[in-house]
Amino acid sequence: MNFCIQGIGAVTPLGPTGLETWLALCDGQHAPRTRFGKALADRNYFACPVPGKFLGGAARQPRLRRSGTISLLAALAGSDAFADAGLKLDSGLGDRIAVVFAICSGGINYTRRFYHEIATQGANCASPLLFPETVYNAAASHLAALLGVDGQSYTLVGDSSVGLAAIHFATELLTMQPRLDRCLVVGTEEVDWLLADAFASWRMATNRDQFEVYGRTNGTIFGEGAAAVLVGRTGSLMIAKCSAGLPFHSLSETESAAKEMFCHLPREGAFEMIVSSANGTFADEVEGKVFSEFYPAVPVYAPKPALGEALGAGALLQVAVAGWALRHQRLPGTLRAGCKLLSVNRETRSLPSSQALVTCVGFNHQVNALKLCLVQSAY
Amino acid sequence: MQDIARGNRVLVTGLGVISPLGPDTDANLRSLLEGKDCVAPIEIFDVSRTRCKTAGQIPDVWLEKAFPPGRVSDRFHRGARMAALALREASKVANGAKPELMVVGTTVGGMSYGELFYRRLLATKSRKGFARLVGNYTPQKPIQDALELNRLRIPTQILTNACSSGSNAIGHGFELVRHGLRSCVVCGGYEPLCELVFVGFDSLQAATPEKIRPFDRNRTGLVLGEGAAFLILESERSANSRGAVALAEMVGYGVSTDTYHLTQPNPSGIGPKLAMQRALDSGGVAAGAIDYVNAHGTATIFNDATEGAAISELCGKVPVSSTKSMMGHALGAAGAIEAAFCVLALRDQFLPPNINFVQPDPAWKFEVVANQFRAARVNYALSNSIGFGGTNATLILKQT
Repeated sequence: MNFCIQGIGAVTPLGPTGLETWLALCDGQHAPRTRFGKALADRNYFACPVPGKFLGGAARQPRLRRSGTISLLAALAGSDAFADAGLKLDSGLGDRIAVVFAICSGGINYTRRFYHEIATQGANCASPLLFPETVYNAAASHLAALLGVDGQSYTLVGDSSVGLAAIHFATELLTMQPRLDRCLVVGTEEVDWLLADAFASWRMATNRDQFEVYGRTNGTIFGEGAAAVLVGRTGSLMIAKCSAGLPFHSLSETESAAKEMFCHLPREGAFEMIVSSANGTFADEVEGKVFSEFYPAVPVYAPKPALGEALGAGALLQVAVAGWALRHQRLPGTLRAGCKLLSVNRETRSLPSSQALVTCVGFNHQVNALKLCLVQSAY
Repeated sequence: MQDIARGNRVLVTGLGVISPLGPDTDANLRSLLEGKDCVAPIEIFDVSRTRCKTAGQIPDVWLEKAFPPGRVSDRFHRGARMAALALREASKVANGAKPELMVVGTTVGGMSYGELFYRRLLATKSRKGFARLVGNYTPQKPIQDALELNRLRIPTQILTNACSSGSNAIGHGFELVRHGLRSCVVCGGYEPLCELVFVGFDSLQAATPEKIRPFDRNRTGLVLGEGAAFLILESERSANSRGAVALAEMVGYGVSTDTYHLTQPNPSGIGPKLAMQRALDSGGVAAGAIDYVNAHGTATIFNDATEGAAISELCGKVPVSSTKSMMGHALGAAGAIEAAFCVLALRDQFLPPNINFVQPDPAWKFEVVANQFRAARVNYALSNSIGFGGTNATLILKQT
């Protein structure tokens, strides 16, 4: 049984909607970098936050008045996906729609502030207003409330590949429940100095203001944002293949896991573009090797140098980009691409295509892939 | 979940539990029958400035016995060791089952490593050991480690639906097998105690400095717990093909989302009532057929009021207990541990006790299994989980 993406929504540092983000990506723009101050140690990092002016619409919702940034972003992306599907955001969807969230770090701003109070002032000073928003499923709960969903709301947690696992989870729900019309799958992420510093200590983040993909692996820069896809039973973008992902227990296993996962899908020729997860870390080398060996002529676009590594939102942003690329028959150029992958797409160009492969090598033990097919051109 | 097409029979062929009640299923069963109070003063972090100072804890010695200290096992988070131990037992009981997928619920994963990272950031300029903490704090990493320790390499789905995570994981695994998408799934939950969450509940004044007394008229709040439990769910065909022994049958799963408030349930009880009704519909079970309810029963004023109203309305005079009274609330693992207790109740035909119970609340019709276990005919058991964010999940199990 195949399911379709009926609507795509996003809010990113490049735009308050999916369409504006797509146009900026095609225009070769990259998200403005903001320098994080020396919050807790003498180390600076850059990140790509979503401008506050993009959040206004969500922040005015009474339910979201105390919520963290990830919840605001999720609400905006969810609304945008509904609008893209030509649906009105109804506040009484009941149990005919399920909400499935993909989360990586969760509400890290609130979590840091809450734990900072514990660590520096004592447990008796920790604010009860902060704690509820630190819970991983807070964003899903808020969005379910805005949509009036009284049925299923699930939050999946994982690494930067979790968005693909969430889409797979949604297809499982739709397969098992004929009464369910749609699943809204949302990935969301906020940036924080702590996140950058933690990943830098793991050699996954850089303190520079740019990072290269398929070149030197100096670490990534984090981005903020959310992406949402409305998955239903009909539509112009069919999810031809997706899975729960595959774990790897060590770096040496990553490549075999990637081969197994990416090559379960039809070989070269079956898709005309790849939207990859390259982010300036070991993921680039793994993807690069597999693409060079199995799909040497398929152009590869990596959106993360433009948007930043948005972790929980990262894979869904890739799916969104693949959907836009198929709809518009264009593929943006990868910014700051190194020389280790010949097939990397460097300039925005027209690309007649009907199928796209989305690949993810997560930093924390998951590899996944998804294939998207254009069933009919809506554009 | 209330679709009538029920598909395959789903059997529980493997069970593994570690909780403050014991390091394995047998030890947990003994403690349930004894009505043992396993809530004790907190030892693993400072509680000098919190109201609540107790929790149900897993002694480190149990984990060290299973995974002796050494270069490899030191790398694993406490949560990974709990999960690995429960997974090992479940695999052993299932004896030859080949799970295709693991579905796991948790709320914090390896958060205590994140806490340690933060405290070191505040205290020192050295970054020695930071990479280990960052690499192992995420909720998925302890599960990857538990799989590695059990030499399993299967896809995982990690659900973080707050306190209903464990039940959601089992419910989703159940649906996958029932509908033929998988023939064997290992599912459950794990949750190690951590300071951030402990203080969180304390700050909300949901945690009590007294004994936890679910469904008591004078209840004052919850205490936290920890642990892990896994069930191996298998289609009848798969189980029969290898001659597996079924411990119980899973027949129903229902969920609902209560959109009333992020941390407070709708006082009407509509959230848990919808989940219970959907689980009954899903299993084709009449409410009157339920012989035992293992309630979420956190002993907070709000939870017990709303859940109590829902149980009373749907199931009337059914026997109810909250096993959290003995071990505290293990959050993302609670639903899985309590499902495991339901399997034991069905297998051994008894009702687990609700300890520390003094005074009934006249608002409810049901009968609390007060302070001592009771032998009883148990054909159907229902387990409730209710979480922050309004997530409600109900599982129904049947005697085989």
